[in-house]
Amino acid sequence: MSNKEDILKKYRANVREKYDMPDLSDIKAITYNDPLVQFIKMTESVGGHVIEVKEGQDINELVKEMYPDAKEIASNLPEVTIATRNPDTVGRARDLNGTDVGIIRGQFGVAENACVWIPQTMKEKAVCFISENLVILLPKSQIVNNMHEAYKRIKFDETYDGYGTFISGPSKTADIAQVLVMGAQAARSATILLLPE
Amino acid sequence: MSTGHSKAAKEFLKNQTYAKWHDATFWAVRSKRDNMAYGLDEWEQLREKASQIKRHTITHLDEYLDQFATNAEKNGCIVHWAKDANEFNEIVYGILKNHNVKKIVKSKSMLTEECGMNPYLEEHGIEVVETDLGERIIQLKGQAPSHIVMPAIHLNHDDVGELFEEKLGSEKGNHDPTYLTYVARLSLRNEFLTADAGMTGGNFGIAETGDIVVCTNEGNADMSTSCPKLHIAAIGLEKIIPNYDCLAVFQRMLCRAGTGQPTTTFTSHFRKARPTAHPMHIVLVDNGRSEWIGNPEHWEALKCIRCGSCMNTCPVYRRSGGYSYSYFIPGPIGINLGMLRDPQKHSGNVSACTLCNSCQTVCPAKVNLGDQIYLWRQQLDEFGTANPEKKLICKGLGTVYGSSGIYNLGTALAHWANIIPSPLMNCGLNPWAEGHKMMEFPKKPFHKLIKEIEK
Repeated sequence: MSNKEDILKKYRANVREKYDMPDLSDIKAITYNDPLVQFIKMTESVGGHVIEVKEGQDINELVKEMYPDAKEIASNLPEVTIATRNPDTVGRARDLNGTDVGIIRGQFGVAENACVWIPQTMKEKAVCFISENLVILLPKSQIVNNMHEAYKRIKFDETYDGYGTFISGPSKTADIAQVLVMGAQAARSATILLLPE
Repeated sequence: MSTGHSKAAKEFLKNQTYAKWHDATFWAVRSKRDNMAYGLDEWEQLREKASQIKRHTITHLDEYLDQFATNAEKNGCIVHWAKDANEFNEIVYGILKNHNVKKIVKSKSMLTEECGMNPYLEEHGIEVVETDLGERIIQLKGQAPSHIVMPAIHLNHDDVGELFEEKLGSEKGNHDPTYLTYVARLSLRNEFLTADAGMTGGNFGIAETGDIVVCTNEGNADMSTSCPKLHIAAIGLEKIIPNYDCLAVFQRMLCRAGTGQPTTTFTSHFRKARPTAHPMHIVLVDNGRSEWIGNPEHWEALKCIRCGSCMNTCPVYRRSGGYSYSYFIPGPIGINLGMLRDPQKHSGNVSACTLCNSCQTVCPAKVNLGDQIYLWRQQLDEFGTANPEKKLICKGLGTVYGSSGIYNLGTALAHWANIIPSPLMNCGLNPWAEGHKMMEFPKKPFHKLIKEIEK
């Protein structure tokens, strides 16, 4: 088997001219007068839903109203009292299969493309993908303009420090004859619940 | 005088209905890309930065690779180095064997395609299940991808419907794309739950953090790594970039350029295995890259981020399809990578270019694709793959253009060719008449016209 040094040595020897790193601080990235409005618009355009949660409104009631037929609800969030499964305590990740609604927390949203930063904060991250419908709780004050700002902010969880993802809308594909279908391999719908301060 | 590409393209063009759909579909994707690009004032600035970041990174890659590997190992990952396809396949098989893996689910990876990994693993008794819908379709069909982002674009919904009836037991005659997607979803769900290992490629590797970043619309890379207890990520050396600030530039461009979306649905950062799984393995693959960086004219092909925008816009790709190229990656970037891989084998592709340079106008990393194809053509003689008839013609034309006397005589007499009856000119013996009618030569050549005007 080759080792790192052989490959790096060969590569190094073949580089001809070296180029400098450009200055990235002068990128004139797009910003919005109201990033929240743009975030909502983009979320809808990528096939997601947005609901603004009113002051004092109970999230559990809201989710029950949205998914009256849901039998299995998975979440490890303390404010979610209707969960029937907990991604922290399931025996195996696959036991989360058959989840009708998964409820997770997002750290912040990105106005330009509707991405929501979701660091892993549960033992089994499968809940973020295996659920038929995904509900993401997001404080509405936490919206940045663009990915440059987003990448300055992302942090992994201290306990589950191995994984994080940006999610923008539901899973989708156009692999059959370029017809757009929501719900390829992960959640078939994605709803952002915008939380008041 | 036909090249391998033009012969294959002739087959593609036999089905004119499909050929027109293919052309229009990719033009629509190109238009979506334009909408995205025009929606950002900074688009051209981003392209320039992307190009500069890549130039810097790939000419300092030894340092960044070292940093990446050090950080990944610090995170608890096991990092492997493969000098070529063979070693890569052996490494992956070795890991799977150690964990007694019988079945793997995997997300799309052009690198595993490049290395012929699937057939290798299958020969060694491991079941490999592709989980990107397009990749799954062509896997069930026993075919190779015809586009790097839309691998099953050469099949229509009836083709897929019939395939699923046979392989997945879908309803007879129901060829609705939504229905078929759900059939595949159910079938793949079962695979995700029962596989022993998950494999992903990597769109980016981040030197500063050791993250492997994978971008998908389907969420299949995340599904592939959420249930199985083992994750192997395979990544080409040139996919390493310095840090998150650089990643922001590429994340913003990858999908806008490739499919005309503002982002992929999932941009996932894998730093280490989840708490209930075995340590994550990362395989860094050279397979030619350390040689290509030394090619004075073609090293910049290593800047490519595999978005597919060059093939979407290419007038030749749109009208000839992925299977007309001899290399597994088609279109402008595929022509160049194929020539870097094996010029003797892939010279037939360099004629699949009108030198319109649309590819390098849209490329988000500013790879000079068209210029490179032009340069490859100058080298065909050296590779022993130049066409002898074309060589002879070029020699003849060299004589004509080299002497104003012969040139003027030729243009003055050319119009006499017009009176040759059409069936004699537009026949199989005249290779120029293939696919188009011969031109009419003007009675007054341009030089004469200009002289008259100047009088």
